Amino acid sequence: MTPLYPQVPLRSPETVMRLSRMGAFHQSRLSFMRVLLRRMAAESWRVERSRWEVDGRGVGVAVYTAHTPTRSYSLVCFAHDLPPSMRSDRVIATAWDATFTLRHGIPDTETIKRLADNVPHQEAGRISDTELVLARANRSVRLFEHVVASLAAGRQPETDEVARVGYLMRTTAVYGAGKFGAADREVLGTHEALDGPFRAEMLAVYLIRLFSLDMVEHLARARAPDTATLLAPAIRRRFGIGNATGLGMAPFLINHPTLLNNWMMARETALARVRALPTAEPAERDRFHSLLRRAMVNAAEWSTGHPLQLVRVEALREDLAQLVAHLDGTGLAGSRPWDRLYRWAEDNLSVEGQEQLVSLLLEPYPHLVDGLADCMSADEPRTFRIDGAMTVDEARAHLEAIYDWALEIDFDDPSACQHVWYVSEEKLEPRLGPRFGEEALEPYEQPLAPGRDAARMHRDLVVSWPQDSVAGFLLDHPQHRHMVRRLQMAVRHPYAEIRDNTIGEDLLPIDILRCKLSFFGATRFDPRSDRWVQIVMYQGAPFPAELDADSAEDWIYPPEETACTTP
Amino acid sequence: MYYSLNEIESLCRKAARGAGMHWGLAEEAGKAARWLAVHGLPGPAVLADLLERHCEVAYGDLAPMALDGVWRARGENLCPLIAGATLTDRAETYRAGGVITLGPTCHPLLLAPQAGSVALGTGLAVTLEWDDVRFTVDASQGLALAGAGTALLAAMVAQVRIVVGVDVAGCRAPHARPQPVDAEVRRRLEALAHRTYAPASEASRLSGAGAKE
Repeated sequence: MTPLYPQVPLRSPETVMRLSRMGAFHQSRLSFMRVLLRRMAAESWRVERSRWEVDGRGVGVAVYTAHTPTRSYSLVCFAHDLPPSMRSDRVIATAWDATFTLRHGIPDTETIKRLADNVPHQEAGRISDTELVLARANRSVRLFEHVVASLAAGRQPETDEVARVGYLMRTTAVYGAGKFGAADREVLGTHEALDGPFRAEMLAVYLIRLFSLDMVEHLARARAPDTATLLAPAIRRRFGIGNATGLGMAPFLINHPTLLNNWMMARETALARVRALPTAEPAERDRFHSLLRRAMVNAAEWSTGHPLQLVRVEALREDLAQLVAHLDGTGLAGSRPWDRLYRWAEDNLSVEGQEQLVSLLLEPYPHLVDGLADCMSADEPRTFRIDGAMTVDEARAHLEAIYDWALEIDFDDPSACQHVWYVSEEKLEPRLGPRFGEEALEPYEQPLAPGRDAARMHRDLVVSWPQDSVAGFLLDHPQHRHMVRRLQMAVRHPYAEIRDNTIGEDLLPIDILRCKLSFFGATRFDPRSDRWVQIVMYQGAPFPAELDADSAEDWIYPPEETACTTP
Repeated sequence: MYYSLNEIESLCRKAARGAGMHWGLAEEAGKAARWLAVHGLPGPAVLADLLERHCEVAYGDLAPMALDGVWRARGENLCPLIAGATLTDRAETYRAGGVITLGPTCHPLLLAPQAGSVALGTGLAVTLEWDDVRFTVDASQGLALAGAGTALLAAMVAQVRIVVGVDVAGCRAPHARPQPVDAEVRRRLEALAHRTYAPASEASRLSGAGAKE
């Protein structure tokens, strides 16, 4: 029988679902990259490079195939010779250093030809429902060339540079779930090995990392066959894959409330289970202390040029030092040691430090945490239908409880509704523009302001007959249909809704991006502006031949000995 | 060309919004097209017809005026998306079964997804009847269709009878695969969807992510 785990109450949505906190999340045992590697190790997936037809300029095709116990998946890579003037990470770019698709099975030559006619064009091409993911990547120009030049000369690259940048290529889009003809979620649901949010995307990125490393070694050999050497294994591991993420990711979390709820609920439940533990065993304490030291290395290596993130990273470094000092003084003896530690952190650490602690607390407890990864999908069609039998009075009461923060905002004040989320006709790029600027953007506004929409609906609810049904209310007020649906989802899913204004002048879209990317398992958040962030994925991750139960878990915090000086 | 269900839903949602629907109903339009596509029915084509017919008509002329007796629009005929949404919002009312009659209605095939939603909400099979068409959806979204022909795709019918709580056998399960969408239909939906995109401009370009690195 499954044991019932003791719990302390979950942190409230009022605490968790604030952008300032979501924008300080860190990866954890429940992050999708970690869940994928855990599964790959548990099921002994085998990965091979099944095709490599790349010339000395780095142009050609490569295929990497992952064999699971039941099926095979191949990343088909197209390597291009991109003029530097065309290299752009924006959605509106039209050419890239490399383009990819992850597909079911092993492609034959005819399939590769079909894909070669489409994948390099990305959004302008078509793929089919045997393909699961469409992606592209650009080189990190300086580090890529440094590594090729070093290896060609028979040397290893400078480790400081490797630690600072952390990747050879960065993906600028990774599309899944039905985009551009790719397999729909319904099809993905039949692929057991990839069952779970963003699993196919995470596998694609893991294989893209292999490609980027093979590529530098290949180019070094092509440049200087007599002197070229391979990357040393320890340095090789330090390369992850970069990613540049813009505004397109922010609407996703607002558009998928039940999915967001399930991610948050899993993480909060995990935290509550650990906090409820009556004692901490010596092995668990040792694991925590060891990872805390490694988190300090991670914080020391974390470089960013963004003023806001710079302050947060500095605060994190101080927080972790303070945490060590606190533990040296009080230790983890006594009852409910983790709960006491968490509550101390709430009073003494920055939000960045508190959330780093949350992630660290989950680490020593795979048996309490890892199973929750199975609860992070959402059956969204099930939550779509509106319950029209709810009365207007009930709807009003729920709204006042969940959106109380929004009812306190004066949305007639221009600063409270400064931004418009919209889609440009230019390659359908999602954008955020000024409501009161020269261009009339309001007619194109996307429904991404639940707080304002709740406040608007409230005005109509309070003057409607309280005992009328929501069905009747909606027949007269069709403009509130979207909001009624959100409200009812939020009633059943406490973490479904971000409890902050998503169109106010203080909005930092990077907070929403960071929340989502932390669930992917990203590290080294480096905002390039308030709406654009670069990150690293899989840095330190074991390569396929190195994957086992231990290595699959023990990679995300850098080893203690690699500490470089604080920038 | 074949399109994923995700693409069909997304395009149809945007087209409905572009045709002037509020977002909540536009979401329903996207789901309806997807639902029909999953059953091998021409959801996008019928939706394109409906949206073009109704995009200049006010909501108040297309919605049911009263729900006791036969549902009728103030204007010439009911919009199946609005009537369907009203139906599914009231699913609770039909838990023990019921019969609803609609007066003149456009493109009644678009009622089918919402009949599916009522079946889901009540656990009862739901039948739609117009002309010689008899269309049944069970609670697991299986479909049984009788009298299909040109009437199935009728642009306008004088009456639709909806029966909640029927005995049913032989419903065919949905099949979630990509579906062909005619290039002309796609062009028409794209034209409506395009109304939701802001025109390209230099100022707009600078408001995209990555513009200020």
